[in-house]
Amino acid sequence: MKLFKTLSVAAMAIALVATSITGSTASAASSLKGKIVVNGSSALLPLTLQAANEFKKLNPKVKISASAAGSITGPQSVRKGIADIGAVDWDASQDVPGFKKFDGQVAHKVAVIPFAAVVNKNVTADNLTTKQLQDIFSGKVKNWKDVGGEDADIIVVNRAFGSGTRVNFQMKALQGTDFISKGDNYKEVKSSGDMKTAVETTPNAIGYMDLVYVTSKMKAVKINNIAPTEANVINGTYKVWGYGYYMTKGEPDGAVKAFIEYIQSSKFQNGSLKKLKFIPISAIK
Amino acid sequence: MQLETSVQSLKMGTEESELGGSIKAGSGRMLDRKNRLLFYNRSFKIACIASASFVCLVLFSILFFMFRTGVLTFRDVPMATFFFSTDWSPENESYGAFVFIFGTFALTLLTLLISVPLSIIIAVFMAEVAPKWMRNLLRPVLDLLVGIPSVVYGFLGLTILIPLLRNITGTNMGDGILAAAIVLTIMVLPTISRISDDAISVVPRKYRDASYALGATRFQTIFKVTIPAARSGIMYGVILGMARAIGETMAVVMVIGNTPQLADALFKPTSVLTSNIVMQISNVPFDSTWNNALYMMGFLLLVISLLMIVLVRLLQQKGAHR
Amino acid sequence: MKSATTGTRGMFTSDRGMNNFNNRMFTFFVWGISACIILFICALLYLILQKGLPSLTWDFIMGLPSEMEEGGGIGPALFNSFYMLLISLLIAVPLGMMAGIYLAEFAPENKVISFVRICVEGLASVPSIIFGLFGIALFVEMFQVGLTIIGGAVSLAFLNLPVMTRVTEEAIRAVPQDMKQASFALGATHLQTIRRALIPTAVSGIVTGICLVAGRAFGESAVIILTAGVTTSGEMWDFNLLSPGETLAVHLWYVQSEAIVPDAVSISDKSAAVLVFIILMFNILFRIPLWIKERKSR
Repeated sequence: MKLFKTLSVAAMAIALVATSITGSTASAASSLKGKIVVNGSSALLPLTLQAANEFKKLNPKVKISASAAGSITGPQSVRKGIADIGAVDWDASQDVPGFKKFDGQVAHKVAVIPFAAVVNKNVTADNLTTKQLQDIFSGKVKNWKDVGGEDADIIVVNRAFGSGTRVNFQMKALQGTDFISKGDNYKEVKSSGDMKTAVETTPNAIGYMDLVYVTSKMKAVKINNIAPTEANVINGTYKVWGYGYYMTKGEPDGAVKAFIEYIQSSKFQNGSLKKLKFIPISAIK
Repeated sequence: MQLETSVQSLKMGTEESELGGSIKAGSGRMLDRKNRLLFYNRSFKIACIASASFVCLVLFSILFFMFRTGVLTFRDVPMATFFFSTDWSPENESYGAFVFIFGTFALTLLTLLISVPLSIIIAVFMAEVAPKWMRNLLRPVLDLLVGIPSVVYGFLGLTILIPLLRNITGTNMGDGILAAAIVLTIMVLPTISRISDDAISVVPRKYRDASYALGATRFQTIFKVTIPAARSGIMYGVILGMARAIGETMAVVMVIGNTPQLADALFKPTSVLTSNIVMQISNVPFDSTWNNALYMMGFLLLVISLLMIVLVRLLQQKGAHR
Repeated sequence: MKSATTGTRGMFTSDRGMNNFNNRMFTFFVWGISACIILFICALLYLILQKGLPSLTWDFIMGLPSEMEEGGGIGPALFNSFYMLLISLLIAVPLGMMAGIYLAEFAPENKVISFVRICVEGLASVPSIIFGLFGIALFVEMFQVGLTIIGGAVSLAFLNLPVMTRVTEEAIRAVPQDMKQASFALGATHLQTIRRALIPTAVSGIVTGICLVAGRAFGESAVIILTAGVTTSGEMWDFNLLSPGETLAVHLWYVQSEAIVPDAVSISDKSAAVLVFIILMFNILFRIPLWIKERKSR
């Protein structure tokens, strides 16, 4: 244990020297100082990392350490004081299906995330009503022919409980109905990437994911005759979307406040955030 | 201690004596050197004991941590429900882990059914049949296989094996314990075959010579003499492979389907202890019954693998007495 | 088998023709199955390397990862892999070797020591995910440092400690007794004997062990996802032990699971190739000195 203490001290000393060298070369554009720790949703991680990179260029004295494990770890880490910002796919200051609210935390909207129900390329059905979606994901409808497709079993691919995408899809697309939890043609996957691979490679599969992950190797179905596109989200016809939130303990100040303000600024929202295929919060009326 | 003080006083004595400097210095250094060596030896031994105790300490603190958190499960869930109920839906407060326990055993058994015969054949091939150059080439290649990240295996399983299984069998999904067992077979094959290979290689030459002298063919020698003689080593390999199969996580989670239902068919999506832990651990609130139940499942895994080690020990002792 | 009934003639003297047939079949069978498996292994390695290696560039290996544009690199993740490997080896190798030496050289044969051995083997068989959970309990919940390089490295070291111990013990035990006695006869102390005679002789086994351990640590993902996180600090050469410590194996997983860069597939192919290639290099580099030594001593 002592060895490991001395080692860590030594390494930290090296790190200090290293950062002081690199730090001095960057221009001291801002006097803002501090360390920001972000934890939580992995779906928001690319956004956070991109924002952190840009923010660090403007404020070289601020250190940002971003990580992700799962949505619920965000507000939890904030409550425990391990993280300053908890990234989460739903408003954690309210109750949602499966999760209690976190008292004393303030939610900051940072992005709009559209979700899409996706099917394998071989599925002929391309429009599903809310009722049909509810029936499919609750296991009442088991064959594609009942919802306008060919005669084949429906393979339901679901995200694991606790996934932010799952919470949002359940609330917005299924309007709160429960998922099936077992069956011969049902599986759960751990991440958006696994969902993508599963839907791409499994014939007759249906799943759902952030619109960002939809590729040309799968098909995003229309919901109630409305295609999941950015434009339809903005004009208010496509309803299956949610906000991405940053949770803080009370109102933020200092570097944390500046960072959240940077993410909410129109420069970032209309620049990198759009490039990452999220929708700016200001676009929603 | 007494000796040391007397040496000290002797040195003090010589300090003022009429003796030549060379003797004084010489004897002083000699004694210093002896003390120093003694000191090094002692402290080295103490450091070694400390390290060995540290290893035990790590194991016990792991056991302690897992148990401390896991046992809290039983505040809210009766023990019988946890172990024997097949209903795992934590969102509705039912915590029955039987599906996962059963899945773990079923998956391990199936993996061993496929991998043990293959591994032993490979081991026999390397130790007895293959020419020397091939042996020297094969062993590092098998070692290399151990080092391939399990993520890579899982990904290959998801993108190549599962579509293949689906096409061959005509099932809807292909996920299930068979797919997981095949992936695991590839992962434990090097472990079992390398250890069996070593065990077969150290069977004394004279056993084989005696067998050949009795007119046995190579086939007979291997099956009736060499393999029985190497039995305990092979068992050790099998059990280590088994431990790896039980504990493997990232590869299994990608091909098993992750559905809490009993694995009563080869192609039915199911779940095992490890895959369920890794699927859910980052998505559950700390300090919830759910979190505790996952730790309890971890503790179970730990107990299963420790039991297996005790089994190995017993086997080895039996082997030694024989 | 007929031989079983003709007891007095020994168990091997059965129908000669049948035996020869069996023997040939067996040899054929073993060659066949082995060839299949070896071909399979080679195909697997080829598949992984061929997809990634040809398109590898220096920019990819040293570059910073990108979150939205193509052409992101794996520099910090690769650096973290080596850095964490180094720290974990710095902890695991000395401790593991000393524990191994203790078990092989000093430990008396009694109940306590056989219990210690069971502990070592038990620890060796603990599933890696358990080390991850333990790491969370220790570093995230107890010390509250969050997901850091040091947390990941120490958890990795715990994972490797028992393997190192066992390998060292076996290697030292395998040294012929004569060697040890000769050293003692020359008046060497126990420590000198261990340092000058036993370890140099056992070095081949120990190095194989380190190799094994390093390979395992390099490819490990479950432990690191849970204890060191899935991000880097986004800087190259970040020696800070409290930075998040995503390694290459984790990056591979992350890119496959969550990344939204358009070239995620190519990044994961290339990362997999780099990983396998490095483990290949470990195996070769560690072994070359041993081969040379073997040649010399011959």
